Amino acid sequence: MSTRWYPLYQRGNPQLRVFLPNFWMKLVQPCANQQPNLVQFHCSMEMTKHDIKNYLEKIYNVPVIDVKTRIALGKFRKDIGKGYVVKDDDIKFAYVTLPKTMKFEFPDIFEKKKGDTEDDMKSLDEAKKSFKSFIQRNKDRPDIPSWFSI
Amino acid sequence: MQLLRVHRTFPKLKKVITRRYSQALQLEENEYTDAPVYPPIIDTSLEARKLRIRQTLHKKIQEINTVEEKQIALNMPRFYGWQSIVLNDNKVPFNAMPLVQHYTRTHFQSIDKLPEIYAKSSPIADTIVQEIKSCIEECIATENEGVERNIVTSLDKPEKQQISDAHTKNIVKQINRIILNNLTDKVSHILSSQVDYDPRHEAFWFIGSVDLPWDVRKWRKKQKWYKGRLDQPLDRPVQYIGSPILTIRNHLPLKPIIDHSEAENPDFKVPKFSHIPESVGYFSEFRHGTNIPGFWPGDFDEFGLMSFHGRGHILDRSESFGPEDNLEALHCQAIKASFGWLLAQASYQGFTTFNDLTYPLVTQTVLTDGHLVSFYAYQLNTIVMHNDEVDSNPKHNVCFGTKPLELYETIENGKVKGLNEDVLKMLVQFYLNAPEERDHAMKPYLGKEEQIIADIEDDNRRCWLESRYKHLVANRPKHFLLPELYDWEKIYKIKFNTRFFEARRRPFEFDINPFKRRLDDHLPPYIPKVLRPYPKSRKKFETTYYPNV
Repeated sequence: MSTRWYPLYQRGNPQLRVFLPNFWMKLVQPCANQQPNLVQFHCSMEMTKHDIKNYLEKIYNVPVIDVKTRIALGKFRKDIGKGYVVKDDDIKFAYVTLPKTMKFEFPDIFEKKKGDTEDDMKSLDEAKKSFKSFIQRNKDRPDIPSWFSI
Repeated sequence: MQLLRVHRTFPKLKKVITRRYSQALQLEENEYTDAPVYPPIIDTSLEARKLRIRQTLHKKIQEINTVEEKQIALNMPRFYGWQSIVLNDNKVPFNAMPLVQHYTRTHFQSIDKLPEIYAKSSPIADTIVQEIKSCIEECIATENEGVERNIVTSLDKPEKQQISDAHTKNIVKQINRIILNNLTDKVSHILSSQVDYDPRHEAFWFIGSVDLPWDVRKWRKKQKWYKGRLDQPLDRPVQYIGSPILTIRNHLPLKPIIDHSEAENPDFKVPKFSHIPESVGYFSEFRHGTNIPGFWPGDFDEFGLMSFHGRGHILDRSESFGPEDNLEALHCQAIKASFGWLLAQASYQGFTTFNDLTYPLVTQTVLTDGHLVSFYAYQLNTIVMHNDEVDSNPKHNVCFGTKPLELYETIENGKVKGLNEDVLKMLVQFYLNAPEERDHAMKPYLGKEEQIIADIEDDNRRCWLESRYKHLVANRPKHFLLPELYDWEKIYKIKFNTRFFEARRRPFEFDINPFKRRLDDHLPPYIPKVLRPYPKSRKKFETTYYPNV
C-alpha cells in the first residue's frame, strides 16, 4: 500500500506498477521507561494503524498485538543566520505492542569497544606524522598545492 | 502614639524595659530537673525535612473529625484537581494485570472452589438451588428469547458492549430478585440489606514506586535545586471510576476471608510495575480526587456485600489479544472494581490513602454477561501505598477469583438446557455469606460526636461544607477555566523572547503556575453592604471553612 495512485487498469501489456511505495518506518529509542514489549517508531504521516500492522507483519514477520499512534508537534527553532522562528515537520509516532513473552531492547548503535580509543589515538598519531613529513618535504616550495607532486 | 513622637530615643527605652520585664517572668517559669533534658535531635537534611512535612500533613488529615472534610483535605493542594491516572472498570488494555496488581497492591489467587469460609453454607445452598432452579431457568429463557427490549445506545461506547451490558442488566436484575425473594425469610441479613442499581463508584489514592513521567524529569533537569535528586520518586494520584450493574449493601461488614495478621504473609506476592502507565494504555486527566461507594456519607448501610458487573468490554477487545489476555482482563476488572469500592467504603469509615486501615474489609464481585459467570472474593487489608510506605508496608490485599463458568449450556426452543447447578450454588453462597458485627472500633480516625458534616451544629459551617463537598466531588468544569496559554504566546513569548518590549500582563509572565494554586486560593463570596450586619461591619467577604491542612 502507498499513497501513490495505482494507474487505472488498461488491457494489454506492459502493465504499469508502483514499485516504490512511500511508506516508511523508523525505529527510535524511547525517551520514557516503557514496557519491554513495546516498540516505538516514527513513521510516514499517511500510515494508519492498519498499515503499520500490515507493514510489520507482512514484510518483517513481526507479531503485532496492538498499535497506537499519535502525532507530535514539530520543534520550533530559530533559523541559524536568519534569526526568524521556523517549525520542523510534525512526526507521527507508532507504539507497537508485541506479545507478552517478547522483549525488545533498543540496540546501542554507537557502542564503543575496548580497543576503540587506542585505535583512534594511533590513527591520529599517524596522521600527524604524515602531515609533518609533508611539511618537511615541501618546505622549499611554498604556495604549491598538495596534489602537485610526483 | 503621641508619646512615641516626643523623642526618637523613646522606642529604644521601651524595648529595654520590656526585655527586663520578660526575663524576670521567664525565670519564674523555668523548672530545673535533676538530669538534663535535651530536645530531640532531628535530622536536618532536606529529605528528612520534606518527610517531616509530609508526615505532619498525614497526621493532620488523620485528626480531622468528619469524613467529608478529610476528602476535601486530600484535594487541598490542587485548585484545578490532581492529574490522576484514570482506571475505568470497563476498559482494560492489553497486558494490564501487572499494573493493576501493583496499583492496587493485590495478590491474585486463581481458584476453582470458593474459599473455606463458604463451606458452612454449602448444605443450605443446595436446597435453595433446587427451589429456585426452575424460576432461574424460566427467567433466563424469557429474557433471551421471550422479550424484545428496545435498547438505546449512545455513541461514546462501542455498540456491542452497550447491548451486551444492557442485556446482562436485565438478567441480573431478575436473578437477583428471585434469589432475594427466596432468601428473605431464611436468612436475616437479606431483609436488612439495600439494593442499588447503577450506583456511582469512585475511589482515589496515591501510588508510589512508579517511574517519573518523562516531562517531569525533563523539567527537573532544568532546575538548579533538583541537582543530585533528579530521580527522586513522585506520588502519582490514581482515580478509579466505575458503575456496577447492581450492588447489595448492609449496615454490617462481611467476615474476613483470611485473618488480618495473615495479610503480612510474604507468600502474597505483588509484582512491581514501575513503567509509565501510558505505555500500558492508562492515561491521566485533571480531576478532583473522589471517594464515593454509591451513597453519601451518613447512610446507614455502609458496607458492601456484593456487586455485579457486566463484561461487555471483552467483546470490544481486539482478536489479536487472545483468550488468555481476555481472562486476565476479567481479573483486572474484578480487582479494580473490588478495590475501588472497598477503598471508597473505607474512606467513609475515616481512613484515607495516608491513614491505613486498622481492620480488613471484604467484598464479593460477580462478573457476568448472563451466560458466563466468574466469582471473585476480595479482602482489603491495606490502602497505604504512597512513596514513603510502598516498600516498607508488609501488608497486601488478596483477591480470590474463578475462571468464567457457564451458567447453562444452550437455549433451545425457549428452554434452558443444561443449567449448571454448581455455578448457581456459588452465587447463592455469595448471598448466604452473612455480615457480622465486629468487636473493634470501626471508625478510629473520626470524631466522637462529629463523624460526618451533618453532625456539625454550627449552621453556617455545616451548610458551607455540605455544598463545597458536593460541588467538589461533582467534578464539574470550573466557572473560570484555567488561564489559557495561546500557541503564539508559547512560541513568541516563552520559547523565544521576541516581544521583550511589551508590558507583562499574562500570568506566566509573573511566574504564576496555575497548577500550584491551592483549593482555598480564591476570594470568598462578597457580602454587599446592605446585607452586612447592622450598625457597622467591616467584614466584606463570607467565611470559608476549609480544613486546615
